[in-house]
Amino acid sequence: MAKRSVLGLYTEEDSAADALDNLREAGFEEGEYEILTGVPYPEGTFGEAEPEHKLYRWPLIGAICGFTIALLITAGTELAYPLITGGKPILSIPAMAIIMYEGSMLGAILFTIIGIIFESRLPRIFMGAYSEKITEGHIGVTVTTDETRTDAAETALNKAGIDGEIIRGWE
Amino acid sequence: MVTDPGSRVVEPYVETDNSVEARKAVSDGFIGIHNVTSNRFWQFAALFGIMFVLGIVGFVMRLGAGFDDKGAWGYYIAVFAFLMTTSSAAPMVAIAPRIANSHWRRPISRAAEIWALAGCLNLLLYIPLIWLLPSLENGRRSLWFYGQQEGVPAYSPHIWATLAILGLILLGLALVWLSSLPDFAVLRDHGEGWRKKWAGRLALGWRGTSAQWNWQYHRMGVVGAFYFMMLVFVHFFISVEFLMVHVPGWIDSLYPITHAHNALQAGVATMMLTMFFLRQFGGYKEYIGLDQFWGLGKLLLALSLLWFWFWFSSFNVFWYGKKPSEQAVLELLVKGPYLYLFITIFILVFILPWFTMIWNPVRRSVWGPPILAISVLIGTLLDRVRLYVGAWDVAGKSSMMEDMMYMKMSEVPTKIPTPQIADIFVIVGFIGGSILVFMLATRLIPAVNIWEQKEMLLYKAEVQFHRTKVMVMGKSR
Repeated sequence: MAKRSVLGLYTEEDSAADALDNLREAGFEEGEYEILTGVPYPEGTFGEAEPEHKLYRWPLIGAICGFTIALLITAGTELAYPLITGGKPILSIPAMAIIMYEGSMLGAILFTIIGIIFESRLPRIFMGAYSEKITEGHIGVTVTTDETRTDAAETALNKAGIDGEIIRGWE
Repeated sequence: MVTDPGSRVVEPYVETDNSVEARKAVSDGFIGIHNVTSNRFWQFAALFGIMFVLGIVGFVMRLGAGFDDKGAWGYYIAVFAFLMTTSSAAPMVAIAPRIANSHWRRPISRAAEIWALAGCLNLLLYIPLIWLLPSLENGRRSLWFYGQQEGVPAYSPHIWATLAILGLILLGLALVWLSSLPDFAVLRDHGEGWRKKWAGRLALGWRGTSAQWNWQYHRMGVVGAFYFMMLVFVHFFISVEFLMVHVPGWIDSLYPITHAHNALQAGVATMMLTMFFLRQFGGYKEYIGLDQFWGLGKLLLALSLLWFWFWFSSFNVFWYGKKPSEQAVLELLVKGPYLYLFITIFILVFILPWFTMIWNPVRRSVWGPPILAISVLIGTLLDRVRLYVGAWDVAGKSSMMEDMMYMKMSEVPTKIPTPQIADIFVIVGFIGGSILVFMLATRLIPAVNIWEQKEMLLYKAEVQFHRTKVMVMGKSR
């Protein structure tokens, strides 16, 4: 079934928080509604669940991949040409350190950039229900749900005292 | 509200107005400033544009002269190192205080990040250097175990230095874009003309959900930390591969970090001047004030004192070590042809900032720190000329030396190479070009962070404290 989104705008933080309470009471799940703001409010300001992110996995995996590749390149070279230099071991860390550091860094950087693009879910081609008033300072509560439940969502949003009319959009 | 014993009504706690109207006023104020491009802006842009054209002419002339005469490239490499020391280091002024959760840096963070875009120009300058840098086969001292360990490619420095510089530029672009995303959304919704169109494309459908703010905050932290790590690494490469290894006998494990420290000092000086111009001519007088000059001024003073510490630590080892090759290195870079240049640098980069910035009236002013920043920047440029022109002068003559590992006193050049017309064009042009890139970028990207200024409304409050009022600043996380 096609998803529809509805948006209510609020001027006060408490009204937006009330709207979320109303939505929860009406049976909407956490993933179905979102707070839209023009500034980063402290997490939990509106009683919303703290967003989960897998940020640290990306650079960590990238760094491990980069480190492994650099280790294989340097150790492979040293083992392929096993010449003892200055009485040092064949596998000598100082000779490998620069490339291993840079390999780890480049892997971490590359994966972080990929992670940014992937995790941000951008670009977002269809904006859904959105209002330019959000970047002006209004607080938006948007509900994305089945067409059959949009009336219930609108009622919950209206009950918290929205500023203006409900805005509707397609996902 | 409480009443004190004298029946005076006292407001115990006054939050900053965080109403919709206040938030809209902040947005409107910034968009209003951002949308105006004054005639003075275009006059400056034209000036820097002409300088940049000269730079391109110099660039082509230098390329046309070929790579055989390595000594002739000294000034060119000095400019490249200077720009890596200034424009590429300026974003650190945004990164470090943001990680420390400080508030004073909010109005200047974006300008610092925009300097990362000038890194693209540094990449253009870097490309010919790949051909200029000799392979390890020329017998110079090297980090790369070349000749001792088979299988190490003769072009290792070229490969790894290029990857490091590309990594730094990529991170710089990611940092500016991440920081600007919410402001692009503001311009998409409320901007005008071409700005609205381009901001809409770059905002990529940003809506400002809690999840988006969350990942943007964390991404900026991670990308900023990587930028710092990569900046130090790039300076390690530049100072080793393009400087120290070309002077036989210059063995100093401290110098790469000295080079990185110089970048932090010059990066702060670059931002100090940027702040001053944004305040005086950019329309941001209301937002960039004493707090920012004072905060950055303290950093500039500390970094200027560190300049001496780094320089003296290296100098001391050479001075007391007194091996013939070390004496020759000191003769080249300090006591010989560059003596007067060195004294000038010492005064501009260390003595002047030290003896002026220790005084409160200078440090706690809007005019004092920028004047000292000019001193530091001129000193840094001269320092880069002293080191790189000196080193590449030797590199150009190294084939005539008896040993690539030790330089004799008799082999030390006796005079400073005279800059050619191409060198002057490149010096003037690429410094002007970097400023031009910054100026043009501020036409699309707001020079002051709109969303971070609006965020401040959430965290600022005035509190009655006994008989006075104090400002209380909150922190989000």
